[in-house]
This record gives sequence, structure tokens and C-alpha cells, in this order.
Amino acid sequence: MALCLNLYHEIHKAKALKRRDPLKISIYGLSALAACFALYYFAQLVRMHSINDRYVKVKAEFDHLEPLSKAAKKREDELTKQTATSAAMVKRIEGRFYWAPLLAELTQVVPRDVQITRLGGEVTGDTLRHCSLTIDGLAAGSDPRRVAEDLRTAIAEKLSPHYKNVTSTFKSLEDGAETVAYNGKQVSTATFAILVQLTFGDDKAAAGRKKK
Amino acid sequence: MKLDKEEIQKIVLGGLLLIGVVYSYFDLLLGPLTKRAETTEIAVNALGPEIVNAKGQIAKTQQLEKDTPNLLLPMRQAEAMIPEGAPVAWFPTRMTEFFKKEGIDRASTRMTGELAEKELPGFRKISWGVDLPKVEFVNFGQAVAALENEEPLLEITALQIDASRDDVEAQHAFLTVNNLVKQ
Repeated sequence: MALCLNLYHEIHKAKALKRRDPLKISIYGLSALAACFALYYFAQLVRMHSINDRYVKVKAEFDHLEPLSKAAKKREDELTKQTATSAAMVKRIEGRFYWAPLLAELTQVVPRDVQITRLGGEVTGDTLRHCSLTIDGLAAGSDPRRVAEDLRTAIAEKLSPHYKNVTSTFKSLEDGAETVAYNGKQVSTATFAILVQLTFGDDKAAAGRKKK
Repeated sequence: MKLDKEEIQKIVLGGLLLIGVVYSYFDLLLGPLTKRAETTEIAVNALGPEIVNAKGQIAKTQQLEKDTPNLLLPMRQAEAMIPEGAPVAWFPTRMTEFFKKEGIDRASTRMTGELAEKELPGFRKISWGVDLPKVEFVNFGQAVAALENEEPLLEITALQIDASRDDVEAQHAFLTVNNLVKQ
């Protein structure tokens, strides 16, 4: 059997050692890893760039819209205020207490045997208007108190369909000292003062309670 | 395979280099970049609703601008009815002329008070006393009706009619009226 001697074993060993040098392998691995990392980083940079572009566009749009929006808000507040004032004006005009229809109604209920000597009225309140009316007069006839009473009830009946909470009460009713000529006869008289109270319009508090 | 000391040192060095590269990459490069991207993304997302709101506000105001002229018409008409200048300079004359037109020759008007109008900014309410020394009831009623119809800014808050003992055909009337005027 022939003897085989490897006289280059040291050279071979050195080559093998060089081939599997851990530092070299590490550097190759690290380089590959760094390349991957770099690729991923650039991909992220591109993404970041697109996000940034979007942000710049959106910011520019917002910067353009923001002052317009603020001005629009200010204008809206102004318009709302003006509209509210206009609505309040309409409400004020429509919610007025009209005296002419009331006087017309009173004219219709006063009979010939009654003379009104004084008529005073006052209206108070903002939304729900309270009106109080004082009617002083002279009733004539065989039973002047009856005539005055008829007038009092007639006033309440006449005004009730048009106004709320109509009350008609005597403040005073007294026999008159003098007699008057009526239908060719001398008849006795009675002086009276009637207080008429009524309301008109909407009750804000009641409307609020109903809503609840 | 047996590793000698030099190889172990190189492996450790390689490991340290790997840790260093990974750490530097994530901490110094990718981390801040991702953080910035997230912040920007959040900012973009946050601006979205604000832009929608701003556009909505502008559209709402434009619509309101379109609708408002009709709603403001009553106020514009009311303003047009109020003459320029101090009310005391024109209102008494206006009342005298009005009642003259209605057949009541004598009318004197005096200012009795002034109130601020909380609900109507830009306006104030002035109270007047209108004295009509000689009126006939039916004629007076017609004048009151005409006054209430022709002067929507005016409201009669009180009235008083007294029969005259001397002249049974005539009465004495006194009106308390409130009138809206510009501030």
C-alpha cells in the first residue's frame, strides 16, 4: 500500500480557515442586511415624501379655507342676529294690542239707554298682554240697575270670543240723583263703573311648560 | 469543528457589529422617520374634518346669505318707515298731520319717556302722550283703526275718552303710545 503524504496540509488548512473566516462572513451578512435595511429605508422615505406632499396640500387648502370660514362664521353670527331682530320686530308688530276692534265691539253693545261718560284703558305685558278697561256711565230706564247689569254681561259675552280670560265686574253701581227724559218719559238713572279685564297673545311661560 | 480563540473573538465582534447596525438603523434612521410619518399622518387626518367643517361653514353662510333677504325684509321696511333725525322733531308733526287727515283738527303730542329695547338692538322705544281735546267717538275710533294699520311701529298702550259736559257731541281723548325709533 502506497503511503500518501499531504505535504500541503498547512496551506490547505490556512485556505480553509480563510474561507470560513467568521469576521468575513459577518461582514458579508451585515452588508446584505444593511442593503435590505437601506432599501426599506428608501421605501419608507418615499412613503414619507408622499405623506408630506399630502400634508402640504391639505395644509395649503386649510390655510386658504380657515380665514374664509372664520369670516363666514362672523357673517353668520351677524345675519343670525339681524334675522332674530327682524323676527322680533315682526312678532312685536303682530303682537300689538289693537284698540280699534275693541272700541268697535263696545260701540255695538252699548244700548240707547246708556251713556258712557268716561272710558279708560291700559294694556300691559310683553307677550301675554293684559288689558284693563274702565267704563263709567249713566244707565237710564225704569230699572236702571238692570240696564247697567245687562251692559256688563253683554260686554263680557261680546268680548269673550275674541279675547281670553274676559271678566267684567262692577266697580260701583249707584242710583243716580237725577232723572232724565227718555222716550218722552222721565226715568230714573244709575251711575256705574265697570271694570273689564282681558288677556291677549301667547303666554310664554305656559308655552314653555307645554313644550316640556 | 473546534473554534479557536481568534475565531471566537471574530464571531463576538461580528455579533457586536450586527447589534450596532440593527440598533443604529432602528433608533437613528427608521425610528425617527416612522415617527415623523405618523405625526404627519395624524396631522393630515386631523386637518380633514377641519376642512370639511370649514367648507360646511362657508356653504351654510352662503345659504343663509341667500335666505336672509326675505327674512330681513320686515326689518328693512320698518327701518324705511322711520325718518332720519330726532324723533321729537318729526313724530309730533306726523301725529298732528295724521289726525288732521282723519278729521281731528287739534292734536298735541308730547314725549313722556324713553326705553331701551333689549330684543331689538339698534332700536329704542319712545313713549308719547297724544292729547286730542275735541273728538267725536266714531270718528275717533276710525282714526285709531287707521293709526294702528298705518303705523306698525306704533302701539297704543293706554287711552282715555271723557265725555264733555258742555258739548255732548264731543269727547276729550288722550292716547299713550309707544313708538319704535332708530337708536
